[in-house]
Amino acid sequence: MTLFLRAYLFVLFGFVFLPIVVSMLFSFNSDRFPTLPMSGFTFEWYNTIFADPDFWRSAKNSLIVSGSTCVIATFLGFCTAYTDYRYSFRGKSLFLAIILLPPTIPLIIIALAMLAWFSRVGMSGQVASVIAAHTVLTAPFAMAIIRLRLSQIDESLEAAAWNLGASEWRAMREVILPFCKPAILSSLFLTAAVSFDEFTVAWFVSGLNKTLPVHVLEIVQGTIDPQVNAIGTLVFGISITLVVISQLLIFFRLQRASQ
Amino acid sequence: MTDPLVVLDQVEKRFDDFVAVRDANLTINEGEFIAIMGPSGCGKTTTLRMLAGLEAPTSGTIKIAGQVMNDVPADKRDTPMVWQSLALFPFLNARENVEFGLKMRGVGAQERETRAMNWLERMEIAEFAERNVETLSGGQRQRVALARALVTEPKLLLLDEPLSALDAHLVIRMQSVLTKLQRELGITFVYVTHSQSEAFAMADRVVIMSQGDIAQIGTPREVYRSPKTRFVAEFVGRNNILPGKVSSVSDGLVVVETALGALKVPGEASPGDQAAIVVAGDMMQVGTGDNTLHATVISEEFVGSMVTAFLEAEDGTELKVQVQERALADLGLETGKQVTLGWAVQDGHLLLEET
Amino acid sequence: MRRPSTYAMTFRLPIIIWQSVFFVGPLIFVVAMSFFVVKNYRMVETFELDSWSKMINRDYVWSAYRYTLMMAGSASVLASLLAFPAAWFLAFRCSPQARQLAILLLIIPFFTSYLVRTFSWYTILAEAGVLNGVFALLGLGPFTMLNTAFGTMVGYLTFVLPLVLILQTVTMANIDDRLIQAARNLGCSSARTIFSVVLPAGKTGFVIAALFAFILSFGDFVAPFYLGGSNPPTMPILIIDTTKSGQQWPRAAVVAVMMMLTLFSVAFASIMYAYRKRASR
Repeated sequence: MTLFLRAYLFVLFGFVFLPIVVSMLFSFNSDRFPTLPMSGFTFEWYNTIFADPDFWRSAKNSLIVSGSTCVIATFLGFCTAYTDYRYSFRGKSLFLAIILLPPTIPLIIIALAMLAWFSRVGMSGQVASVIAAHTVLTAPFAMAIIRLRLSQIDESLEAAAWNLGASEWRAMREVILPFCKPAILSSLFLTAAVSFDEFTVAWFVSGLNKTLPVHVLEIVQGTIDPQVNAIGTLVFGISITLVVISQLLIFFRLQRASQ
Repeated sequence: MTDPLVVLDQVEKRFDDFVAVRDANLTINEGEFIAIMGPSGCGKTTTLRMLAGLEAPTSGTIKIAGQVMNDVPADKRDTPMVWQSLALFPFLNARENVEFGLKMRGVGAQERETRAMNWLERMEIAEFAERNVETLSGGQRQRVALARALVTEPKLLLLDEPLSALDAHLVIRMQSVLTKLQRELGITFVYVTHSQSEAFAMADRVVIMSQGDIAQIGTPREVYRSPKTRFVAEFVGRNNILPGKVSSVSDGLVVVETALGALKVPGEASPGDQAAIVVAGDMMQVGTGDNTLHATVISEEFVGSMVTAFLEAEDGTELKVQVQERALADLGLETGKQVTLGWAVQDGHLLLEET
Repeated sequence: MRRPSTYAMTFRLPIIIWQSVFFVGPLIFVVAMSFFVVKNYRMVETFELDSWSKMINRDYVWSAYRYTLMMAGSASVLASLLAFPAAWFLAFRCSPQARQLAILLLIIPFFTSYLVRTFSWYTILAEAGVLNGVFALLGLGPFTMLNTAFGTMVGYLTFVLPLVLILQTVTMANIDDRLIQAARNLGCSSARTIFSVVLPAGKTGFVIAALFAFILSFGDFVAPFYLGGSNPPTMPILIIDTTKSGQQWPRAAVVAVMMMLTLFSVAFASIMYAYRKRASR
């Protein structure tokens, strides 16, 4: 029974990881159409994308978008997490709802809503529109990570700072921020990674300023092109590096705390 | 007589419908060691937090050094606190923790370090100055917390159950550190605790609180020997409380008709009053006395050289007798045995109960 | 109640303003837009039921709705059933370290592009693709897997299976061990323990996991578009078609509102069911 279940688990993991592995392998496969057996090793697809100005433009946009998104989303997430930690007030659940709700609404609906709204308020097709949309999508993750950190704080810590002569602002700077630092860093990396991968909303909202995933979407819509595998592998490499860094930050913090 | 350092005048603190502190009047003199004591939820910590400016009183006035403090925010007061959790900053080392208050007051880096190191030396933990506070032992952290609170040389130090997280043997050590420190510095300590032994061991005066009310203020001896209310009598020490009704009064001698018979106690009362006689466990003796009872030993509890014997009288009233451990056998206080208990009239204490 | 201080408001106002402008605003606008009309290729802001009546009276909208509902429902059930044995194994037969590692591995897919994974499935499932290559070695096939409901379902499962597996594993790992031991002690077999202890005790978690699978599949356009070949189209594809090519934003908004109403009803019903106290039997 146990043996059977273990085998089943591996099959399931195989299903989940098969497309990732296949994509990586075939990004180095010389044949245009991926078939078995693989035909030969090549860097052709990587050379193609590196030579493509569209790739560099969209990659630059993606970097700007995810770089700005992570800062704003983390700021918003921090403000929400701190407010939730420190205060209770009437309408607090509504307050939390407007920041935590976005992940429960399908991206396609958010994409349509943003597209229509931005064209209504005259913000169509700008990099800034994508940033604004992505902050809404990623702020809940920032909030969750930072709130989790704040739930570990000794509740007397902030009061202790006031008690020793720190104003509220000073206590924020000297106590709350240093305490949340690992979570803030972790949130920056995580929200950047999520923003870097998002294509539905970016596709609707970005107009001509397309991001890298939107570039991929356009290639995929055309033909079968192993460029996609190459870009996917590259982006995966970057995302996973960001996530690993963010996880390590949390992990080492927890380890130190448990000592 | 100098002016009192702290005055609480009819202070009340309400959280929505809940009254945390009711009509508190308290005067604390300079250089005094005051312990505020009571069970959890009695309002002792709220009182302390009001002194620190972390809670604002709903009504009444709080004066410190003659100045009304009601609306002075916490960071504008000089009332450092030693926290129950210690609340050391985990991302700072021991020295930086101690420097914190000085830094907030704009003291230069050089002077900060000198003053912090002085205090760390005084607390005998200078060698751990650069250590992360999370790696220090409980006792060492305690000393860092004390140094951090005292480095600004305040007139008033607030302590919120600072020893509750320590092992028993460390508590005794820290008690002597605290009392010594308080005598040397001559500053006022306001010490909140639920532990009677801590309060009695250190404090000049004890404030006993119950459900938001101050039940009694007095020296440990006064509180121990002459509890003013039934609550204080029950909360403090190993008291025997024998309730009844005053039957006659003559020459400062009151006779109370209790379930265990008529018992005599010194005091003032009128016949018919509801009253109780309080006899401390160590005043109750085996053998006959001015007042005499019969009871059966139920169990014994050892606390070092002292033993508390628990007995039951004929009607089921529970009684406590404290004796020296070595005297136990001589007195015949063995479980299951029947004994006669007695005490001198002046060792009883009359408690008139409000109706 | 005291007025909150400037300090407190500094942390509240940015969120209220930002989320109002960039989240609540667009969401309300999309609902309002479903009542706008398009005249001469321009959207006119009015209140007319034009788009609603046009969309609701079209069969293809309802068939897309039924198909999307059916596919998302199937994905949710299928993912829950497929994940359960593996989650049970991870929760009850693995060391905490192995479980942690498995969960960590399952998080990885969330940081690979779903688009690239779908493209990869495309090449795997294609007529001359990787999978048919393997079948050919066994003397089977080729099978048509792309542009079918099967293709769509593979895409949905790629998307939701890791999440369902994580949620189910965490749910079961958090069930009080004593409950299970007690059941075993009372003579329950493994199978009966699952039905009489594990499922009831973890009900909330299982329902939430299935709900997430439903929400994600219901709103996904990538799998039905690339692997299902838009044949038949799903609701998200209707939105894309009407916005991207037809310029008919109000009609897309009608589809979006229909989707939102469906999701809210399903979510509400599931959550009520998940948190309902079980009646005593």
